Amino acid sequence: MLINEALIDMALDADTKEEVVRGLATLAYKDGKINDCEKYIEAVLNREAEYSTAVGFGIAIPHGKTEAVTEPFLGFGKVKEVDWNALDTKPVDLVFIIGVPKKDSGSLHLKLLAKLSRKLMNETFRDELRKAETKKDIIAILETVF
Amino acid sequence: MVKTFTVPFEEGLHARPATELVKICQNIQSDVVFKKNDMNVNPKSILGILTLEAKKGDQITVEIQGADEKEAMKKLEDYFTAK
Repeated sequence: MLINEALIDMALDADTKEEVVRGLATLAYKDGKINDCEKYIEAVLNREAEYSTAVGFGIAIPHGKTEAVTEPFLGFGKVKEVDWNALDTKPVDLVFIIGVPKKDSGSLHLKLLAKLSRKLMNETFRDELRKAETKKDIIAILETVF
Repeated sequence: MVKTFTVPFEEGLHARPATELVKICQNIQSDVVFKKNDMNVNPKSILGILTLEAKKGDQITVEIQGADEKEAMKKLEDYFTAK
């Protein structure tokens, strides 16, 4: 599994995009998916500076491809409404973070985004994520994706 | 109108190219459908575009139907063939 309970925060205390990324990156670092937390955060935020990874429906999928990632991972956080410079201008309350080692060819990255996006288009799936109260609930929902 | 394009972007169709594409498509009044293999998606949504999992070199068939289809197809042609 790309995701595990150590990579989930059900009530991430963050007011900005940067704080959200930092919070989720720190979880990945503690779980051994990243060997250089600052470098990963920088990669993700540089990408965000170029364009927003908000995908609509209050959801963002920040991601970073860098040698600081030792193992591909998916993290998830529920946040209070945070501005993510979304095209639809709406704030974000669900965040998925993806990390892929630089040596992986571009396709893994794209595959993860595609699989997640297919599910996120479904309103029921989004509702389930928002209703989920425990990390176990989230894992159970995401197990159907990957 | 129907035309097929090849994805020219090194990283595939996500990230900045996907954001630019959504912006272009949201300004098109006609209905736009992108097709790859057996998938049909609405490119006016980022999620729709990401769903395609379009890598560099993949072929995407673009179908546009509506009042501004000619100008719209031109814009998309420019988008896929720029640089």
